[in-house]
Amino acid sequence: MTPFRELDPLLHSQLRLAIMSVLISVDSAGFSYLREKTEATAGNLSVQIGKLKDAGYISVSKSFGESYPQTMCSITDLGRKKFAEYVAALGDYLKI
Amino acid sequence: MENEEKMMTGEESLSVITEMINKTRVSVTQSSFHLLFWGWLIFVCSLSEFILWKFVGWTNSWYVWFFVIPGTVVSLIYGFTRGKKEKVFTYGTSIYVWTWIAFLFASIVFFIVYPLETGSVAKYMLLMAAIPLFISGVILKFRPLMWGAGAFWFLALVAHFGGETVSGLAMPVAMIVGYLIPGYLLRKRGSHDTFQGA
Repeated sequence: MTPFRELDPLLHSQLRLAIMSVLISVDSAGFSYLREKTEATAGNLSVQIGKLKDAGYISVSKSFGESYPQTMCSITDLGRKKFAEYVAALGDYLKI
Repeated sequence: MENEEKMMTGEESLSVITEMINKTRVSVTQSSFHLLFWGWLIFVCSLSEFILWKFVGWTNSWYVWFFVIPGTVVSLIYGFTRGKKEKVFTYGTSIYVWTWIAFLFASIVFFIVYPLETGSVAKYMLLMAAIPLFISGVILKFRPLMWGAGAFWFLALVAHFGGETVSGLAMPVAMIVGYLIPGYLLRKRGSHDTFQGA
């Protein structure tokens, strides 16, 4: 019997997993877009983005639009690898 | 999603992943603006060139194509200013934008090596323009654009094998079929100049 792979605790949190799921599907996404899709509060989203950034799972860049700063997030190679491992471990866990 | 450290069951995790991926779809804003802008500009230029050459007898009727230069500037400024407001860039959006920019680069090189006064360029331009049009149709899953690209290729053959009169009308007809009709359909289907594919 194959032992269960441990689920990455950084990803096994609802909002962080939601952020990673959005970013895995796109080239880059702005803070307001992530907020709209995850329906999270700005403060909570900001904290979770910081955790994913500190872990090297995502990269964050800031640019200036017409008159306001725009924060863009994109998934890193490490983040892509960790997300794939998480999904594989989830597959084992759910036997799918 | 208010609880920042909420732990989930495996089923909940799978549900979050599925929900978020489904929410993230190819979104190409501005697409109808550029199709309609270029459709009308090229339609007017190509038809004017044909009428001035055929009925007025002006041999330098190709001068009308200089209107494409300010048109390119307007299109780039519009695209750049709108692009800075984009909240997300999907892979589809990036491919869509860069395919058209690649077409712009190819067109610049083409006009350097093949100046307008050397003769009709319609067949070559239709041949090239059909490629980003077809790819746009695939990305947006919007068949009128793909049919438009098919019409471009067919009209490139018409421009090559048809007589001078038929060749002169190939470009304005192509603009109606490939840019204007799909452009208006796209604008009707999308909301606020944004169209979402699958």
